Amino acid sequence: MRKLLTGNKAAAWGARLAEVDYLPVFPITPQTEIIETLAEWVDRGELDARLTTLESEHSMVTAAGAAAATGVRVFTATSSQGLLYAMEMLYNVAGWRVPLVLVNVSRGLSAPITLEPDHNDVLAARDSGFLQLHCATCQEVLDSVLLAYRLAEDKRVRLPVLVNLDGFYLSFTREPVILPSREQVRAFLPAFDAGSNRFRGGEPVSQAVAVLGGGPYSYFRYQTHLAAVEAGEVFDELSEAFSNHFDRGFKAIEDYRCEDAEILFVMIGSFATKAREAVDRLRDAGQKVGLLRPRLLRPFPAREFVRLLSGRAGVAVIDQNLSTGLGGILYTELAAALYPVPRRPILASFIGGLGGRDITAGEFYAMAEQVRQAVETGQAPPPRLLFTDQEMQTVRGLQRIAGSEEGES
Amino acid sequence: MYRIRFHGRGGQGIKTASRILGTALFIEGFEVQDAPRYGAERRGAPIFAYVRADTIPIQERGVIHRPDLVVVADETLLAITPAQVLEGITAATVVLIYSGHPESWWREQFPHVGRIIVLSPIAEHPGGIPAGAFCAGAAAALLGEVSEEALTQAVEEELAAHDPELVLSNKQAVMTAYAAVANYHGQVQSGPPLTVNETQPPAWIDMSRDAVDIAAPVIHAGTTSCLVKTGLWRTRRPVIDKEKCRRCLQCCAWCPEGGIRVGEDGFPVIDYEHCKGCLVCAAQCPFKAIKVIPESQAKEEQDAQAADRK
Amino acid sequence: MSEQDCAGTGKATRQGLLGAGTPMCAGCGGLQALHQIYDLVGDKTVFVNAAGCMTLLSIYPFTPFPGSWLYTAMACAPAGAQGVRDALDVLLAKGRIQPEQDQLPVVLTGDGSAYGMGLSATSAAIDRGLDFLYICYDNEGYGNTGHQYSAATPAGARTATSRVDGYAGIKKDLFAIWSAHRPAYVATAIGTEPADLARKLKKALSLSGPRLLLVLAPCPTGWGFEPARMVELGKLAVKTGIWPLKEYSDGQVRHTQVPARRKPVTDYLQLQGRFRHLFAPVRDTDKLTALQRQVDDYWEHID
Repeated sequence: MRKLLTGNKAAAWGARLAEVDYLPVFPITPQTEIIETLAEWVDRGELDARLTTLESEHSMVTAAGAAAATGVRVFTATSSQGLLYAMEMLYNVAGWRVPLVLVNVSRGLSAPITLEPDHNDVLAARDSGFLQLHCATCQEVLDSVLLAYRLAEDKRVRLPVLVNLDGFYLSFTREPVILPSREQVRAFLPAFDAGSNRFRGGEPVSQAVAVLGGGPYSYFRYQTHLAAVEAGEVFDELSEAFSNHFDRGFKAIEDYRCEDAEILFVMIGSFATKAREAVDRLRDAGQKVGLLRPRLLRPFPAREFVRLLSGRAGVAVIDQNLSTGLGGILYTELAAALYPVPRRPILASFIGGLGGRDITAGEFYAMAEQVRQAVETGQAPPPRLLFTDQEMQTVRGLQRIAGSEEGES
Repeated sequence: MYRIRFHGRGGQGIKTASRILGTALFIEGFEVQDAPRYGAERRGAPIFAYVRADTIPIQERGVIHRPDLVVVADETLLAITPAQVLEGITAATVVLIYSGHPESWWREQFPHVGRIIVLSPIAEHPGGIPAGAFCAGAAAALLGEVSEEALTQAVEEELAAHDPELVLSNKQAVMTAYAAVANYHGQVQSGPPLTVNETQPPAWIDMSRDAVDIAAPVIHAGTTSCLVKTGLWRTRRPVIDKEKCRRCLQCCAWCPEGGIRVGEDGFPVIDYEHCKGCLVCAAQCPFKAIKVIPESQAKEEQDAQAADRK
Repeated sequence: MSEQDCAGTGKATRQGLLGAGTPMCAGCGGLQALHQIYDLVGDKTVFVNAAGCMTLLSIYPFTPFPGSWLYTAMACAPAGAQGVRDALDVLLAKGRIQPEQDQLPVVLTGDGSAYGMGLSATSAAIDRGLDFLYICYDNEGYGNTGHQYSAATPAGARTATSRVDGYAGIKKDLFAIWSAHRPAYVATAIGTEPADLARKLKKALSLSGPRLLLVLAPCPTGWGFEPARMVELGKLAVKTGIWPLKEYSDGQVRHTQVPARRKPVTDYLQLQGRFRHLFAPVRDTDKLTALQRQVDDYWEHID
């Protein structure tokens, strides 16, 4: 069945079709529609799950991890400040090695407060042990949730998975989404198997105990890393199984019109569909331009990036995030992955889309042009914030009203 | 560089001892590093602290693996393998033991070709002075680098937050110990740096992924803590006098460790493997049927009994 | 509970269910109470622990628990209990476990979590009517970090962050805060009054819903007394009226022991290093009188 769904509804449908058992929740914009939808289904008896509203995201992730450790399939969702409030428990729950799916609806972090998206929230969790899938369409939100359960629950992985979608641009945006049948999903996603780490009367299990000394700590931490690395291989298997099963591709990196591309955009999230559009128009104009969009960000698909980028001329990395004092996070990670490559492309760093600021078609063309010039001169341009003179005038206008005078810098 | 390791029990002022020595050496113009090592252990459990001192800035960090001086503030620790009191000693290492036994006796207890110096318990010392203070004084003398003035000043600085009476009595104790080992002034030699050649290459492995059942910090068994012998924390032990015991079993109820069971004859039986020596049982026994003896005496009695049986 | 073999030692070494060999301090009043509590709640439990002294009960690969355990974090042990309870309910409802495999979630925290960081999670768990038992071992300070003052520290007590004049605040009335939520049961207790503790715990276990047990835990290390005097201290806390033994259920607060003739609070205070500054070098009569008056005021209207 194909119907119009918001990204939030698609996420809820993913949970419903995965036949989750438990829904610890807490409201936060722009995620709230997900839990409202699920709550309604639970109330109507359409979803046989228990929904509990906790008093914070910190408690929500704790309850999610504890329930997963007890042996049920868990779904939960949050955004932005909520993800950061839960951060302590993200690391904990990953260390417990329990499988669950957490949807994050990206929203820029305070201060200043905003409701619109960028990716600093989800990227703050990149070292936590949660695997990360990033979505560009509402269809992908649903697909990612289903695939995330297979990935999380795989015996070789057993790690929680975070599925990310952009606030507003996906969360509140309706698109046609193919809803698979329950039977179709069941054939892809087997029933939950708690494994041996679970709480049952008569079977003593002490979970998440302390260790003394750096040796055992190193072992357990590194095992989590090895499981995450293994998840890359497992993901490739699953993406193939997914394609066969649902007739839709789901590779770790989407490569759009890359076959003979000399210049490529690299970015994550829903704004990447704007990049696709720009690629089409640039192709129309005769330029050999393509797009690489990682769906899988943890584990980082470094080997696949190397394969796809070796021998290319130039890359525009568009970061919808800002590591203050460093710059774009994707740019940094990609540069590290490409460093050992002899025929590596020139990398140009662009920061755009912070707090939901639009990236226009013209800006994509300009970025491609800058990279083309960089390739010619052999000189990468300095990092560029996508921010125009007109936007500056607007800010100045706001500052005048706010009583702020331009002072000494 | 001087590398000094202090061993004692939680509550014996081992951290303070290392700080007194560290500060004294600092006053004498040395570059100094001192630190306690904390674990999960509590009062009574074996702990250690260490001091490094050099004439040049110190780059080493962490636990001292090859000490020039090992200070044993609690002699019962030498019998306890996990305390690792003698770890890394060489012929050049001086071992200082706070003990009533003579050097000759200790020579029979463990092999050490280097010097063993015994600091006898000081009879006239006022009560309540932790063993650490004595040992700090003796260690300062053995290094031969710390003057009486520097040592006094160090005690004052380190105990500044305490009552003047306590500072005074500690100062006296430190100086008494300093004088008591005056014959061995400067016996400890500054150790050489570890050279490249004497370092063993690490036997690194490429860790592979284990099944999640074992790769997470999960325990799949109950009551494994019984394997931890917290009896080693004890310096004094409660002993039940069956003549006086009326089998009221209050001791069983009060024991914070759950370490007193009821024997087949109805008398309480103390689990010495786990008894931490809090002595709540002795304090609470309505019939004064639990006596308290030093652990060293208990060991001697056991040894004597074992000898009798032979 | 009968004698049982301790894992590994191959011989019966103790009377209770909880294993020996934990790294709690010698003379720990919290551990003494926990032994009694565990014997009653039994091993079909998941102890959900928050950061505090008792975090170190389980250090890989050692645990004193014959049942189960989950460490969460300082703020959120009740939320962990919620997740465990909810998951077990789902499993029972869906027939994926048998009723005999059910477990009771038991939150175990110190006062740092119970009175402070974890209070929001506790309050919310009560709001939700969570079917669980909450045990707080209250040693009146952040004991695991060297005994800094917490919201549970009594007035005048010296701690590592109130070294000179002692704690300037007053001990928060957690019993009242809990009771105000109207849970199934709230009680204060202490390990040195075993009969009172056992009766309350049995009553708690006979009920369902949020059940809370606030246990004063005399702490030799943090309070500054010889470990051997732990029981004496605990009994004095009750006999002086400083630690009222009471319970709340069905909207009523009832005192379970009313000391007929209360001992002066100084009997209790003078045994502890944390109150020594009130006695020496000069006796702080004003402060001692004020502390006595606080206790007298409390008991004035209680029969």
